[in-house]
Amino acid sequence: QVNELVMFLLVKDQKKIPIKRADMLKYVIREHRDAYAEIVDQAGRTLQQVFGLQLVEIDTKRHLYILINNLPRAEGEHLCRGKEKEKMGLLLIILSFIFMKGNSVKDSEFSPKPPRTPLFHAPRSLTPPFPGALWEFLHLLRIHPGRQHRVFGDVRKLVTEEFVQQKYLEVTPIPLTDPPESKYQWGPRAEKETTKMDVLKFVAKLQGKDPTFWASQHAEAAAEA
Amino acid sequence: ENREAMLNSKSNRLTEALEEANRLFDGVCRAREAALDAQFLVIASNIGKEKANELHSEMSAFDSTAFAEDLLTFMGINRTEVEDSDDSEDVPGGFLPSDAWQTMGKEASKYFRRAPTLHYMMGSFRSEPPVPKQRIERQKKASRGKAERAMPAQLKKMEESHQEATEKEVERILRILQTHFENDPNTPISFFDFVIDPNSFARTVENVFHVSFLIRDGLAKIKLDEDDLPIIEPIKPSEGGEEDSRAGARNQVVISLDQKQWK
Repeated sequence: QVNELVMFLLVKDQKKIPIKRADMLKYVIREHRDAYAEIVDQAGRTLQQVFGLQLVEIDTKRHLYILINNLPRAEGEHLCRGKEKEKMGLLLIILSFIFMKGNSVKDSEFSPKPPRTPLFHAPRSLTPPFPGALWEFLHLLRIHPGRQHRVFGDVRKLVTEEFVQQKYLEVTPIPLTDPPESKYQWGPRAEKETTKMDVLKFVAKLQGKDPTFWASQHAEAAAEA
Repeated sequence: ENREAMLNSKSNRLTEALEEANRLFDGVCRAREAALDAQFLVIASNIGKEKANELHSEMSAFDSTAFAEDLLTFMGINRTEVEDSDDSEDVPGGFLPSDAWQTMGKEASKYFRRAPTLHYMMGSFRSEPPVPKQRIERQKKASRGKAERAMPAQLKKMEESHQEATEKEVERILRILQTHFENDPNTPISFFDFVIDPNSFARTVENVFHVSFLIRDGLAKIKLDEDDLPIIEPIKPSEGGEEDSRAGARNQVVISLDQKQWK
């Protein structure tokens, strides 16, 4: 039973969509429901000892599980296929942007309507393009929500659906906004698979600066460890 | 409207708007107006919440434009050429190489503890795979699905013929030996010329292995010629009977050949 569960988890993890406990019970454990906790425990240990993978429950209410890599990072080639690698690149950039901007970024995927009659003169930085906007930033990298991307295809779908389903990102719509806006944050998988400090180091490396250059982000990252 | 203006921490517009709404509410006598007021409250409270958030997260200034520039540089952008496709609108000129995102991805994978995904090398054998695996296979891209469906068929064939593979090889070698002898019946072949593959040591060893079967089964024999070098020739079927009766004349020989000698 334990081995069956291990195989089940490994295969289910291919799409990186979190695994439901209900599925585990229905397809593998079935009649041995009472021993569920024990079986899951053992499976977790096997995954760790044989594969160096950690089984993590990311949602204790809805009982969702993911597999993460528990081995120390090796230098050199990583076992990611081509398409996956490119997506991870985009994801890291988005996660970095979100963190450096204060853990939460708003944006509308649609271009904002021009203000009708401003009741007073808004300061320059508050007229579009909005400084905090995610898609505005991605636009600088030649990525547009409405257009097919040479590498990523439908980027809007990738970011707001695939990454969200995989729990890398959390996108929450903000009610009664016009045009409709959403809030973008790190998802639970992102929080398990990487750290704020790692991401800060990435940004620092890219910009040729020391991570402490951004004092408050650095303090927050250090506090998380 | 003016949402961003209200969010500005220095502005009191939110307070002003709330005060105005309060005043207006006194004049409300229709349900529709009350509904509008309720809507206003929702928006106002959202804005209030965000303002509060912004008070807490006073992050050190982060220049996202510079970050984008550095990312493009990292991905190998070529800034000397200017694109005149409609891609470049208000974006600074420059040409991203086709492997730009591969480069980015390679760097990015170092920052994630992502579990490598398991994929079967040969696909599923069973004609009725267990339900969870079937669901996943339906999700896979069509091309991959086809490849896996092709694989089980191939593998089954290989499994059946596993025993026969060696036999086939042996037969093949026998045929080669016989063909050579048909063409030139009186010239036995030097054993070494026969088995050695100048390009592959492994192949050579395989050849010796297969030839040993021929000898064992009495289909060929090895003799020493005038120079004491081994030569090999096939045994005609008519001689087969005699060979059996002279079983005692068979010898066991161990030939050793290492890579250096082979070279």
